[in-house]
Amino acid sequence: MFYKLLLILSLSFFAQAAERPRGVSSAKASFYQPGKDFKCLTSGETVPWEFVNDDYCDCKDGTDEPGTSACANGFFFCENRGHRGSYIISSRVNDGICDCCDGSDEFDEKIKCGNTCDEIGRKEREEREAFRQLQEQGYKIKQEYMQQGKRAKDEKRARLSELEKQMAELTAARDEIQTRKDEVEAPETEAKERHQKAWEELKAARQAEKDRVKAAHAFAELDANRDNVVDYPEMQKHLEFDIDSDGTVSVEEAREYLDDSDGVDLAKFQDKIWTNIKDIYKPPAEAQETKEALPDEDVATGSQDEEDRGEDSAKPKEAGEEEEKMPPYDEETQKLIEAADVVRKEYDEAADKVKDAENEVNGLKKYLEVDYGPDEEFSALRDQCFELTDREYTYKLCAFDKSSQRPKAGGIETSLGKWGHWYGPEEDKYDAMKYENGQSCWNGPSRSTHVNLHCGVENKLTGASEPSRCEYQFEFTTPARCKQPEPVTGQHQHTEL
Amino acid sequence: MKVAGFFLLGLASVFSVQRDNFRTCDNVGFCKRHRALEPGTSSYAASASSMKLNPTSVSLDVLEKKSDVKFTLTIFGLKDNTFRIRLEEKDAMRKRYEPPVGDVLIKVPEGEELKYNGQSGNQLTFNKGTSRVVLTTEPLRIDVYSDDDPVISINSQGLLKFEHTRPKPEAPPAENQDEENKEEAQEGEEEQQKEEEVKEEEVKAEPEEPDMWEETFKSHTDSKPFGPTSIGVDISFPGVEHVYGIPEHADSLALKTTKTTDPYRLYNLDVFEYDLYNPMALYGAVPLMLAHNEKRTVGVFWLNAAETWVDISSNVADKSIFSNLADFVTGNNEIPQTDTHWFSESGVIDVFLMLGPGPKDVFRQYAALTGTTPLPPLFSISYHQCRWNYNDQDDVRTVDENFDKFDIPYDVIWLDIEHTDGKRYFTWDAAKFPNSIEMLRNISSKGRKMVTIVDPHLKRDDNYKVFAEARDKGLLIKNKDGGDFDGWCWPGSSGWPDFLEKHVRDWWADKFSASEYVGSAPNLYVWNDMNEPSVFNAPEITVNRDIKHLGGWENREVHNIYGMYVHEATMDGLLKRTNYQERAFVLTRAFFAGTQRTAAVWTGDNMGEWSHLKISNPMIMSLNLVGITFSGADVGGFFRNPDNELVTRWYQAGAFQPFFRAHAHLDTKRREPYLLPDENVKVIREAIRARYTYLPYWYTEFFTSEKDGAAVMRPLWVEFPKEKATFGIDDNYMIGSALLVRPVTDQGATNANVYFPGAGEVWYDVETYQTYKGQQEVNVQAPLSKIPVYQKGGTIIPRKMRPRRSSTLMFDDPFTLVVALDPKQEANGQLFIDDYRTFKYRDGAYGFIKYSFTSHKLHSNVEHQGSGFTTKEWLERVIVVGLPHEPRKVTLHQSGQTKELIFTYDSTTHVLIIRKPGVNILQNWTISLH
Repeated sequence: MFYKLLLILSLSFFAQAAERPRGVSSAKASFYQPGKDFKCLTSGETVPWEFVNDDYCDCKDGTDEPGTSACANGFFFCENRGHRGSYIISSRVNDGICDCCDGSDEFDEKIKCGNTCDEIGRKEREEREAFRQLQEQGYKIKQEYMQQGKRAKDEKRARLSELEKQMAELTAARDEIQTRKDEVEAPETEAKERHQKAWEELKAARQAEKDRVKAAHAFAELDANRDNVVDYPEMQKHLEFDIDSDGTVSVEEAREYLDDSDGVDLAKFQDKIWTNIKDIYKPPAEAQETKEALPDEDVATGSQDEEDRGEDSAKPKEAGEEEEKMPPYDEETQKLIEAADVVRKEYDEAADKVKDAENEVNGLKKYLEVDYGPDEEFSALRDQCFELTDREYTYKLCAFDKSSQRPKAGGIETSLGKWGHWYGPEEDKYDAMKYENGQSCWNGPSRSTHVNLHCGVENKLTGASEPSRCEYQFEFTTPARCKQPEPVTGQHQHTEL
Repeated sequence: MKVAGFFLLGLASVFSVQRDNFRTCDNVGFCKRHRALEPGTSSYAASASSMKLNPTSVSLDVLEKKSDVKFTLTIFGLKDNTFRIRLEEKDAMRKRYEPPVGDVLIKVPEGEELKYNGQSGNQLTFNKGTSRVVLTTEPLRIDVYSDDDPVISINSQGLLKFEHTRPKPEAPPAENQDEENKEEAQEGEEEQQKEEEVKEEEVKAEPEEPDMWEETFKSHTDSKPFGPTSIGVDISFPGVEHVYGIPEHADSLALKTTKTTDPYRLYNLDVFEYDLYNPMALYGAVPLMLAHNEKRTVGVFWLNAAETWVDISSNVADKSIFSNLADFVTGNNEIPQTDTHWFSESGVIDVFLMLGPGPKDVFRQYAALTGTTPLPPLFSISYHQCRWNYNDQDDVRTVDENFDKFDIPYDVIWLDIEHTDGKRYFTWDAAKFPNSIEMLRNISSKGRKMVTIVDPHLKRDDNYKVFAEARDKGLLIKNKDGGDFDGWCWPGSSGWPDFLEKHVRDWWADKFSASEYVGSAPNLYVWNDMNEPSVFNAPEITVNRDIKHLGGWENREVHNIYGMYVHEATMDGLLKRTNYQERAFVLTRAFFAGTQRTAAVWTGDNMGEWSHLKISNPMIMSLNLVGITFSGADVGGFFRNPDNELVTRWYQAGAFQPFFRAHAHLDTKRREPYLLPDENVKVIREAIRARYTYLPYWYTEFFTSEKDGAAVMRPLWVEFPKEKATFGIDDNYMIGSALLVRPVTDQGATNANVYFPGAGEVWYDVETYQTYKGQQEVNVQAPLSKIPVYQKGGTIIPRKMRPRRSSTLMFDDPFTLVVALDPKQEANGQLFIDDYRTFKYRDGAYGFIKYSFTSHKLHSNVEHQGSGFTTKEWLERVIVVGLPHEPRKVTLHQSGQTKELIFTYDSTTHVLIIRKPGVNILQNWTISLH
């Protein structure tokens, strides 16, 4: 049917071709009346018939020279019998390149063009048919996608509004428990603090006592002549009291530590002197150790291990002394705590419910805020990743999420962008996607990916390239881009502009 | 392409030149020594008694009185108002390098009788035509007069300094330490110590100064085995305020005084992201200066291939800097004078003085010395599309198809370094370009060409045939110790053939044959980049000065000429492919005097910034002034991402510059013109088409320039030499004698100041035919779509108005003649046509037609039609602009026949369009307006 119709049309072109000027389509033939003045089709000037196709441009719109290259803005009509008529730019007439498949654009014998229309026409029809079938198959799948997508959207919307409603209840429940929780926690905290404070005081008293004992030991040791007075000559024997580090403990230095007196008894030592010197004072054994260590200091500091070990051995000793545990709470406090624990548990459960609901709401919102196409057909791609490996890299596209590449030989993945927005032309924005703000390039922008979408029966990443540094281009086929095929009839109505 | 940015990667986003990679005068021993000289009495004296007179030359002995070293001074009279002055050492210990005759000078310049006119006091006078040379013997000085006006004085300030060859001092300070110590002696302390010792030496003996026998820059030590060899002298131009030339510098057209800067430096260097408006050296060097005033233009050509510096001072310009109160008070009205001081690291003093008297005379005089740009094949003056890089064959095909889809003409698509197998030139990346022949055939089917890059560095890889062969045959340059020089460039460790040697150039040329360059085709041409040469890990990103060339020369002696030999050998290789039948095309980044004969030049790695668009005009004009007429700048700018407006304005400028190529760095966004918004695509399409419509004019200009050496892109003063207001203008220029161009180079501009030169001239806007009177500046409307271009009244320009996909497809297309009338209602023009691609025009196979309009008649006069040369081209249309009244009738007279022609006349614009004379272009005829 189709071929027959085409044949008839072609024959009718042929019949008229002899009568109309070169490069004019049958549709416009009536404007070119041999022998009559020609009116430029859009610019409107009138020129004698002899000026038509005389290889000189007279009309502003270029329509007096449909069959020559004279007008820079003109068009030449190729009949292309066996294929499909088409217009070419006038400058392509007689330029030595065969542009029309029937070779009609080259008639000045610069070049001999064969007629390839039959071949091209057949090929194109085959391609068109193949594409039509592809579209048909793809469109079937797309319809499923559309259904799924719409269903998913409806479900998610419903769930969202349900959750939003529940949210108020859940929050109110949680808040109510919070009030109770605050009520039981107040006496609990008070009791615990009281207990704690008492313990701190007891600990301080014990510490003071320990200190006095230490002071007494030190006093006994310092009081070399055992006259129950520590005097400055006794202090002078302890090199740690050498304030100006001149190697000797002067009288002044010794006296300064003794509160500017010549000597003190145990009571005064414990009350006044010990606090000032306890961090300086070294018992004889320790002083000896330090002295021996000194010459090796350089070596010792060179090794981190030794330093660490030194600290380790010093600390546990002191910690051990103080590691007294707080006694358990009294019964009353214990009861308060147990009561509070019950409410707290209740509260945590309620709060978790709110948080779970919030998370679900956020997830739903995130889903719903993406535009999955006019019929939700692209939602089928969500949460799916597709890979393509070329000579050097494996490229990955996770729809509505991210794009990336990693070296084929192994290595870390580089982000080529995160889902940004639809990127097709204004009239067909679902033609392409943009993933942006990927890993930054040296001295350049952050990486981004432009994904061109094509109709195909499967979701597949079919191409990946980097036309500009750090600007990637993916080709992706998906049934979601398949249009409803036009009915077979009426296709060749587009044979002329 | 590009740059030695390789080693700068660590310095992320530092967007300007790494100045400390390059030496300033303070880092260069001989520069410091010459610059330190004070004007005074020269210690050189000529001996009148030693004078030897020859018919066209005279020579004398010259003595440097402090050192007692003898020199020979020779003054040559040359044809066409030119003199040559040479000073060389009489008993030199070592021969000094001079570029062989045939390499820079195309031949031994033809002599002309020099008449000895006797001695008066210590002055000897020699006459030649209307010029004379006065030689003062002591102190030595040479004054050149033209028509009794002093025009050039040499050594009038006594700055002559010729460092004679000398034995290395037996115990020079640097040698006090043994070798091992010397290695370590690079630390500052020791360095200082050395200098101090040198100073001691200085006092007691011959003036030995630091840096004479060894110099260190950054971590590099220059061994200087031959010691100090520099030469220098002052050259003054009395009565001159403006000097031009000595490219390559990113600076204004009129050279500036260097009182407060370094001297202008000539040393071929790969400068990463170069700065503007300073005298730093760039990729190429032509030591030719033009000095111009209202009365006269003269040229000085300093024939020396070594590093050269030029100081410029001017009693006018410097006065404004150091305001001279004394002059002001006394009202001293002294004559302006520009003093220059030239010094080179080695070589001899060999200076050509071209006395004009007009700018075009100087062009011709210089052309007689170094040759001209041969007529480029038509495709090469069309539009070139380049990028680092078109990734693969698919990419090339897509770009090619898109140009057709968007109906934008282009002739040549280019491939940068990534097309090769691992930067091994003459090879292809097999994965990306599996079938280059098919790709080339596809391009060729639309008359288009391809250019691939071939750099002179060869990857050190035994399996890379070109390298292995060069190494095995001993063709590589050597390091100072005699081994093959090993440096880093794009492929990593590399070797460099020694292009100074003819046998190496011949070897290289053979690499372009179809059998050697596998995957090439006849429509493939070549681009030589990195030929300074660029060496990433060497001092100043170029070879060490003490590396050895095969002929025994150190690179310091020949540095600036190396790059020219590279592109010369490349061009020879391309011509050999067709047995010298078809013309070819080579683009080079490095250049020297003589480069014009075998390559086009571009201004290297510029930036996508407005300032770089602006500087492209003076930079290309400077190249044009020194004979490199076929030159251009990367359209769009190489580095960075220019915005749409800048790209668009750059296309408009590039369309009216001689070499028209868009190029972009690997890291930039794609910017092929069709990728821009519709508004910009439209404007760029029009700009490129405008280029194609003017191709016949460009082609004719290149043809005449091959004969007379004239600049194609001309400063206004070349066309209006007496009009002082034009001397400093470098944002307006002329193409030939007929077109005035003022590219818009300011962001957001919707207006432009155009200077219309010429008292009594009238200029026509080429689009609107609006008229402007000469000798005035006018602020014209220049929205984004507008390129301010004007045709001079009195000229006739041939155009082809049918835009095709490439220039090849326009060969047979008809012409339109645009006759722009001057106030006397007259105009003249010319047209050259041939086959647009072969050398047959040199055998006379071309047509040359003169057009003249006078007394209401347009005459076509075929001045030359080679026997057997015919063309299908015909005359489609004649546009007469500036015709005040509508003719009653227009008739065509040819071979006794008369035919009436149809015409239209616009009485508001005064434009007459004559319809379809239809005559073949190679015919004599007359069109009469009645």
